[in-house]
Amino acid sequence: MKEESMLWQIRHFVYSHFADTTRAPSVDETAARFDISAEEAGEYYKELHNRHAFFLDLETLTVRMANPFSGIPTDFKVHANGKTYFANCAWDMLGIPAALHADALIEAVCSESGEEVGIEIHDGNLRFSIDDLRVHFPLPFARWYDDLTFT
Amino acid sequence: MLLFQSEEWIDKWCKRNNLECGEVLTIQQVWELSKLWYHNRLSLEYHGRSAEQVAEIFRQAGLKSKFWYIQK
Repeated sequence: MKEESMLWQIRHFVYSHFADTTRAPSVDETAARFDISAEEAGEYYKELHNRHAFFLDLETLTVRMANPFSGIPTDFKVHANGKTYFANCAWDMLGIPAALHADALIEAVCSESGEEVGIEIHDGNLRFSIDDLRVHFPLPFARWYDDLTFT
Repeated sequence: MLLFQSEEWIDKWCKRNNLECGEVLTIQQVWELSKLWYHNRLSLEYHGRSAEQVAEIFRQAGLKSKFWYIQK
């Protein structure tokens, strides 16, 4: 039976693991941390996925997104706290320094031209290599969870 | 959400993908939104947020168009 307190502790562990190591913990790592079976840890992962706390790869127990962190390499690379993280999207590349409360150097590319873009966050202020940078939100908020990969 | 070097490149991307353009924000607007949205994401106390809380974040970020409408 899933316990509510344990559920949120596991969410916190997954996020802390991302922040500390740049990757999500496996189900086995989470099971070992909480002294529960891998099967139980998997059930908690599924429940957190269902509650949109993080998102698993289709039909697996691998964390694909714990926004703003990405479980896979992307075009949005964030260097912060001496580590390199991948963000899910152009919003999340700024979400990582916001979540870490850290300065950051971001390497990204324009999705149409392929032009490389550099963004620096220092003491909460932004500096960027291209003046007219824009972020496109393709879907209204009400539809964000229809297809997260597209969103 | 994708990054573009200017609005002109968003138009090209939308045309090439046969998609209607959505909402376009400056990088500074997205940074302000990010701070409101993600500042407490690593906290043990963060358990998600209600529709009302999301609406309040959008309001604080100055996002008031229908695009950001939230069904409560």
